[in-house]
Amino acid sequence: MNSLDQQAALNWFAQFGVVESHFAQVLAAATAYGADDADLYFEHATSVSVSLSDEKVNAAYTSVDLGLGVRVVVGDQVGYAYTEDLSLESMIRAAQSAAQIAKGGKLHAPVKTSVLQLPDYYPINRHWSDVAISERVPMVRKWEQAAFARDARIKRVQASIADAEKRVLIVSADGRMAADYRPMTRAMVSCTAEDKGVRETNYYNIASRAGLDWYSDERQDRLVHEAVSRSIWALDAGTPPAGEMTVVMAAGSSGILLHEAIGHGMEADFNRKGISIFADRVGKRVAPEGVTIVDSAVLPQARGALNVDDEGSPTQRTVLVEDGIMRSYLHDRISARHYGVESTGSGRRESFRHPVLPRMRCTYMEAGNHTPDEIISSVKKGIYCESFGNGQVQIGAGDFAFYVRQGYLIEDGKLTQPIKDVNIIGNGPKVLETIEMVGNDLVIDEGGWTCGKDGQSVPVSQGMPTIKVKNLSVGGGRR
Amino acid sequence: MSSTIHTPEASASHETDSKKALLDEAVRVVETLRKLGADEASASYGWGVHSDLARREGKVETATSATSKGLTVSVLVNKKYSSHSTSDLRPAALDAFLQRAVEATQYLEPDPEQGQADIALCGRGATPEELDEFDAAWRDFTPEQRAQWAIDLEEAVKAHAPANMISASASVADGMNQSARAMSNGFAEVEEGAWYSLGAEMTLLDDGKRPEAYVYYGARYRSDLPDVQAIAKELAAKAQERLNSGPVESGQYPLILLNQAAGRIVGILGGPLSGGALYERRSCLIGKKGEKIGSDLLTLVDNPLIPRGLGSRPFDGDGLRAQKRTVIQNGVLENYYIGVYYGRKLKMDPTSSGASNWVIEAGQQSWQDVAKQFPKAILVNSFLGGNSNATTGDFSFGIRGQLLENGVPVKSLSEMNISGNIMSFFHKLSHVGNDPWTYSSMRSPTLIFDDVAFSGV
Repeated sequence: MNSLDQQAALNWFAQFGVVESHFAQVLAAATAYGADDADLYFEHATSVSVSLSDEKVNAAYTSVDLGLGVRVVVGDQVGYAYTEDLSLESMIRAAQSAAQIAKGGKLHAPVKTSVLQLPDYYPINRHWSDVAISERVPMVRKWEQAAFARDARIKRVQASIADAEKRVLIVSADGRMAADYRPMTRAMVSCTAEDKGVRETNYYNIASRAGLDWYSDERQDRLVHEAVSRSIWALDAGTPPAGEMTVVMAAGSSGILLHEAIGHGMEADFNRKGISIFADRVGKRVAPEGVTIVDSAVLPQARGALNVDDEGSPTQRTVLVEDGIMRSYLHDRISARHYGVESTGSGRRESFRHPVLPRMRCTYMEAGNHTPDEIISSVKKGIYCESFGNGQVQIGAGDFAFYVRQGYLIEDGKLTQPIKDVNIIGNGPKVLETIEMVGNDLVIDEGGWTCGKDGQSVPVSQGMPTIKVKNLSVGGGRR
Repeated sequence: MSSTIHTPEASASHETDSKKALLDEAVRVVETLRKLGADEASASYGWGVHSDLARREGKVETATSATSKGLTVSVLVNKKYSSHSTSDLRPAALDAFLQRAVEATQYLEPDPEQGQADIALCGRGATPEELDEFDAAWRDFTPEQRAQWAIDLEEAVKAHAPANMISASASVADGMNQSARAMSNGFAEVEEGAWYSLGAEMTLLDDGKRPEAYVYYGARYRSDLPDVQAIAKELAAKAQERLNSGPVESGQYPLILLNQAAGRIVGILGGPLSGGALYERRSCLIGKKGEKIGSDLLTLVDNPLIPRGLGSRPFDGDGLRAQKRTVIQNGVLENYYIGVYYGRKLKMDPTSSGASNWVIEAGQQSWQDVAKQFPKAILVNSFLGGNSNATTGDFSFGIRGQLLENGVPVKSLSEMNISGNIMSFFHKLSHVGNDPWTYSSMRSPTLIFDDVAFSGV
């Protein structure tokens, strides 16, 4: 089954007793009191992970998740219910529960379903369900042995490969039907290094909507190399001085700055409610010329890529900021209707247990004209941030933070002392205004990022060229 | 609207039946796994009911309700371990699932320390009556009452809102869970609990910024939650505190860590205390048992047996009988979290596989009294981002709060961080407040530390 093959999706869910004639019956129950919108979200998700610790490939985990989410929308009100039991009786009971939001709403005539034609941004040669656990075991074993072989200071290694495949079928009361097959894989190597009484742990991970053949020798080699070198590197790293300073964000996972400083603030539900600091700023300048920020679902095999969103809307490359001017929020169908625009295909949910929210997919800044060397050498005193752990934002105040796992001091235009474990905090609009130089070296990070909002986690990607920003407060300990 | 109806299973007479049915099913699953070739097996079979209701601008914004079920099993074949979960509980699917679970282990490598605990260590540490985790009134809590509760909270929030409010929302949620656990060593027990939560958010307009604040309370009994008026007052005060916020100069300040925020900082001890971190050498607390890791004022107790506690439990993840344990006594590290597996690896007696309720012993003074003695101090009431490194003990967190001068708030703070290292930080604990927080499994009073590094401008 792939995204182009609706019949395959119907066949897939038929094995759980779901047949096409059920859709109209369940939707009729969902819209019994009227609705502006209603949809059924069928999901079957399986996952496998194999992990190594203590020099043994000593654990495997598998999961199966199956269910239906029923959503009924009246204006911006949402009634939601779900069930793991796909019997018609149970599905109708869920629909009746979700329908109660709509008492007194207008009536919705049932429409014959039409099938959405979709692109496929993550074609796969071999499904993960056809890959035996015995094929995964030698991979993690190989990574572990390579990590130990690379440096005698590596004392402990943990490694894992986790993959998942999710099949979704979305049927809406306005007659749309869409299906998707979504593969995901993520590999992680974590090392503890010890030298002269100093001990440090660090890790590297790579993730993609791809199959087993994505694990090229080069990619596996980089996974191990980065995990080892980051752990060894940390043995000599220190703490930066505290206070406000100029920060150079390295190409790649620095996209975390965009995710927190502007991405969440552009999710249209926050703007519809007036609680984002970016509410009412569409069409206005929010960054200097030359700054273009994008949230895209269409990067092939990206962790955040989507053929179709979780309410059956086609996906796209959405320009949030074009040459410094704010252009578009990230919309689901509720906010699109509120603003009188098309959905940007940003309606996502963690699983059938969760209602749809506007979410990011892959957030990045387009490349500019400067070389990374030009940018670093322009800074007399500051810090350079290379890899990150986590971030957070307050949507309304605009304050955001990210945790730096790896960086350097910049002194007289050169990278000097390595630094780590430091939180950096700033205000989104203030920081965007101070983007001074944008590099020509855009990298979409290959890490397995997960974004949390309202208790829902979804996979995302992010990217960045090297950039220089001001007005960030660095949480160092040294004065 | 009235959000949902309880499922028939949730009525009182059916609960006893469903407990027995769950336990019977968990035992049957373990027996099946044994027949399929597992040397050891365990099964957790659970179901729950969940409803939540959020209101904004005088109407329901979202209403979710569901009954949910799931099964998790673990198997050991020739000391090879795997774990599996499913929500596809159709009988034929379940049989295939159990078959695959046993098959999955064969490709792995044996791990001699895997295996269940001695049954003598397993069982309940308290009766359901002693733990008191199930509010009988939950069974009679109607959709209409839930809807009215949300309306009452929203109305209260509106009534206390300042003029510059842009948006406010109110949400209520409740539910119950029952879970049966069976192990091939003979362990078979059920745990259950009901829960309620109240939350509210408010956004104010403040010169281009739209600072927000939220309050959240959770409890096992509805009657243990604060009333909606108190929550609304607290929310309005918190939101107004966030106006005109900004950083002050970087430097060392006394830190007054408010009770409801303290869990985030105290919680960073959890990682390095775990047996896994000790064994994998990713802990800054290796070899520190019996040593002083904090000031005399730091006493931390893990207590799974607190009646109505949000982290309370009769047994832990390994089925070990729950008991109260001192983790840190007057600054001295007394116990790690050692589960059965890492206990064997580390050749240490198991304590428990993970934290339950963390109780920091309260002091006699109010923090407000202590704060008066500091010409300048920083009150931290929430965090933004940040993390810690379990291997080294380094931490760095974004903070929000107030600059206090002789105990009087003079400026609202944002865009600031605190940084330090666990190994020196807890030695700086100089006062412990008399106000333990009980709406979380992290039960800490307000904690006051000398000379903490703050970064600002």
